[in-house]
Amino acid sequence: MASETKSEKKAAPERYRIPREAAWANAWKLAAGMGVVGLALAGVAWSGDPHRFAFSWLFAFMTVLAIALGCLFFVIIQHMAGASWSVSWRRVPEIFASGLPVFALLFLPIAFSVDELYPWMEHQGQHDAHEQATEQEGGEHASGESILGASTALAQEHGEAAEGEGHAVGGHEHTPQHAQHAETIEAKVAFLNPGFFYGRALLYFAVWALLSWFFVSRSTSQDTKRDFETTKSMQSWAPLSTFAFALTLTFAAFDWMMSLEPAWYSTIFGVQYFSVAAVSSLATIIAVTYALKNAGILGEAVQTEHYHDLGKLMFGFLVFWAYISFSQFMLIWYASIPEETTYYHMRWNGGWQTFTLALALGHFIFPFFFLMSRNIKRRVSLLAFGAAWLLVMHVLECFWLVMPYANEGGGLELHWMDVASVLAVGGCYLAVVFFRMTQLPLIPVGDPRLQRSLRHEVV
Amino acid sequence: MSDEEHVKPARPKQKRPVLYLAEFETPGQVFTAAEKVRDAGYRRWDVHTPFPVHGMDGAMGLSDSRLGWIVLACGLTGCSLALGLIWWTNGIDYPLVIGGKPPFSFPSSVPVMFELTILLSAFGAVLGMLGLNQLPRHHHPVFYSSRFERGTDDRFFISVEASDDKFDLDETRVLLESLSPSHLELIQEES
Repeated sequence: MASETKSEKKAAPERYRIPREAAWANAWKLAAGMGVVGLALAGVAWSGDPHRFAFSWLFAFMTVLAIALGCLFFVIIQHMAGASWSVSWRRVPEIFASGLPVFALLFLPIAFSVDELYPWMEHQGQHDAHEQATEQEGGEHASGESILGASTALAQEHGEAAEGEGHAVGGHEHTPQHAQHAETIEAKVAFLNPGFFYGRALLYFAVWALLSWFFVSRSTSQDTKRDFETTKSMQSWAPLSTFAFALTLTFAAFDWMMSLEPAWYSTIFGVQYFSVAAVSSLATIIAVTYALKNAGILGEAVQTEHYHDLGKLMFGFLVFWAYISFSQFMLIWYASIPEETTYYHMRWNGGWQTFTLALALGHFIFPFFFLMSRNIKRRVSLLAFGAAWLLVMHVLECFWLVMPYANEGGGLELHWMDVASVLAVGGCYLAVVFFRMTQLPLIPVGDPRLQRSLRHEVV
Repeated sequence: MSDEEHVKPARPKQKRPVLYLAEFETPGQVFTAAEKVRDAGYRRWDVHTPFPVHGMDGAMGLSDSRLGWIVLACGLTGCSLALGLIWWTNGIDYPLVIGGKPPFSFPSSVPVMFELTILLSAFGAVLGMLGLNQLPRHHHPVFYSSRFERGTDDRFFISVEASDDKFDLDETRVLLESLSPSHLELIQEES
């Protein structure tokens, strides 16, 4: 095996392509099958329970999007740092980032479900006629049509309705804040309105498509050109791209996830989603290169030394995730201001307490000690297990971020639609990614720094 | 002969060998030489290069550093020390209600646990590194050699210390000469 791959390394660059007969050549068909089944189920779900479906889809969308965005981030950041050690594995995140435009299509169910998802939709055009509007909303709530996820929705409630539903959110008392919450949300309507919301979403997808197109197309054109000019142009655009990336990711997280509870805010929320993206994408890079290497496709291009450094990055971002998550929690816990604490109230009641604690244990405590040792990071199968573990935790984390708003009581409830949505979003995205994989060399064979990367060693 | 020695009383002080210093001109040479010294079973020896030579750890047969374990122990100590301190002072010894929180509340002690973990880990890492390297140390016999000055410039050295169990004045010389160094010298110290 070792000698075989060694000869492959020296062979023509075409060797880094997926052979026609390899299982990986058909992986996209499997993913596409998953996607089709998922989409069919999603169609049933949408016609059956559009409210629950909207949340399931948003959860799946944000879960998979984080991976694609994180991969884009690592491509950009490698160019910004002028890194040569990462060249041999850079094509994998490039291919995963090149799937970003797919999310513009996958966003459609969210775009059509804005009414179901976002409580701020009820506040449109209410600046002038606040009282009239709240009455109407009271009626809507009584008919069970509108969304209640947060105290925000309760904010407009009057009398009995508020008491009844407030109890369901865990006995949290809202009475003094009602009027204030409604005002808070209405003050945000200039930002949180459908026109601007869709406009921003278009901008995000445009920026992501542009960034992924730029960095991936340059890199693939370098496969044949083999020049250093391409590297330099990617390097010179990387800093600006990082700014564009950071701003779009932050505001996308604000728009699509944080505005589920529009009266609540956390300035670190965008960073939190970024940390989720960084951990999950590194886990994906490790898991996918491990699988490709096991299939003999990568030869010896990605070695223990690369995995060791990737493992260190994953470990570092794991700690970063915990740091950010805990910082947000502690500030809110310490200040104990009612309109801020709702966020954690919802994730502590209605069955969420166990989930939250399990997440803290499974997403931080266990992988922290597991991935700490150098010996684990250098035993690639164990590292790959850690990566797979973190991917599972990533799904749970996104579930935790989105789903407390899914049903009126805010209780923890798993639904088949959640699974169907993950199948649909993940299947469609992976089908595109795996198809691209069959068409490109799996390492940037024309990058002038490839040889340095192949000889990379952790000193 | 013996007469002469009697006439000239022995040198004021006796010299004893402390190490062999072999000089090489390229990293490649010192790399293969290091592998041979490793395979010969020496333990108290070292390679001196002007820059890090990739793979040298393996060529020298160095095992993983024990520093990680020291740092881990220090980190866990710091973490539990912080938790214990806050739990005892705030929760048991002198309970105070701050901000409406219970006298001892876990979340507020996490930053302190974090900080003390980092602090003691850093102490453990720096002091442990110094200890494992037997530093600080004001002198080492390799500096008796004037050629060793080029060890920070363009020459590569292997030093084999006399305190090694396998060290033998003749055998070690034969081994080192077989590695074709550009220069080989025995460094002696006045005892």
